[in-house]
Amino acid sequence: MKQLMIICCVAFSITVCAQTKIPTLDKSPMDMSYYPANYPLLKIQDNTSEPLVARVIYSRPQKNGRVIFGELLEYGKVWRLGANEATEIEFFQNVKINDVKIKKGRYTLYTIPTAGKWTIIVNKENDIWGSFRYDEKKDVVRVDVPVQNLGEPAESFFILFDKINATSFNLIAGWDNAKVVLPISLN
Amino acid sequence: MRHFFPKYYCLLLFGCFIAMSCNHKKIQPAPAVITVRDSSAQNPYATLDRSPMDMSYFPADFPLKKMNGSKEKMPIARVIYSRPHKNGRIVFGNSTNSICHYGTPWRLGANEATEIDFYENVVIGGKNITQGSYLLYCIPFEDRWTIIFNSNLYAWGLHIDSSYDVFKTDIPVSVQLPSLEDFTMIFSDAPYGTDLVMAWDNVKVVLPIELSK
Repeated sequence: MKQLMIICCVAFSITVCAQTKIPTLDKSPMDMSYYPANYPLLKIQDNTSEPLVARVIYSRPQKNGRVIFGELLEYGKVWRLGANEATEIEFFQNVKINDVKIKKGRYTLYTIPTAGKWTIIVNKENDIWGSFRYDEKKDVVRVDVPVQNLGEPAESFFILFDKINATSFNLIAGWDNAKVVLPISLN
Repeated sequence: MRHFFPKYYCLLLFGCFIAMSCNHKKIQPAPAVITVRDSSAQNPYATLDRSPMDMSYFPADFPLKKMNGSKEKMPIARVIYSRPHKNGRIVFGNSTNSICHYGTPWRLGANEATEIDFYENVVIGGKNITQGSYLLYCIPFEDRWTIIFNSNLYAWGLHIDSSYDVFKTDIPVSVQLPSLEDFTMIFSDAPYGTDLVMAWDNVKVVLPIELSK
């Protein structure tokens, strides 16, 4: 009898909880960056001079007074380059990173930060949470890029694209006082 | 036996309390909104958006399940959208200050047009929808919404080009309780596949999606 009552109470609590599974706004909101930058806006203004090349979908954790690199994110450990779902990069045409050909399609981005450099990883396993299941065997390319100092620290993690010239552009990722730049070339 | 009853009563109350606090937590988005707004001024590189982007999968929480070792290799559907807030405004209506006007196309979100990705073929409103990505928008009316799939991807949500419409279906409006401060899209399980639930303020619509297998 007693056990039955306990089970009923727990079941009741779970049922009521389960009814309201509407997601709240996330503390690390999702965001999206395109290359060419602001492509969707340019598109509706009939103002695109170049075709769509890349899009990154990532979540933006906040510094919130914490020391990020070396403390919140341990040096030498794989990080999802964002928060929540692992960061996704989509290429709408073939590109080259560090002279490795990357076929158009969706990939997951990870990084291994250290004090002086980050290893940027492009991996084939998509639609996954975090970096807990990161599988090195599914890597497409790994590139080491030096850490640069951000003049003004960034409260929210960011990823954006910046044009170098007609055939290449940079993916720039930064948070707190660190930023890295990953060159990507059109194939 | 009788002297056990107060204990059960306490347990039941405890259960109610857990249920209510859980309930309360899940539908009170206010603190998160404040955090977002406060930090938005502090990033000179790319500011946080007032209507943050979000993503829902079917099966629900697919990436989490995959991380936890589920056998499913691929999700079935995913929606990527931004979440505007009511902020004390009239959301749906015909008054000059309502956010979404009856009869006028709405991007089902904010900023970039909302995108729906199908990883396999599905059936909606009796029609086959081929796997792939679509822009998703709607024309809200008081009693129904017209849901429209459009092939002109990677566009901002205003001025959606209707010459690229590939599919339209009408679905009835029902009441959303409790009313929602933030626009919300989720997939919920259904016997035939999934329902894409779209809700904001006191309005809810449900788009049934059948799996073609």
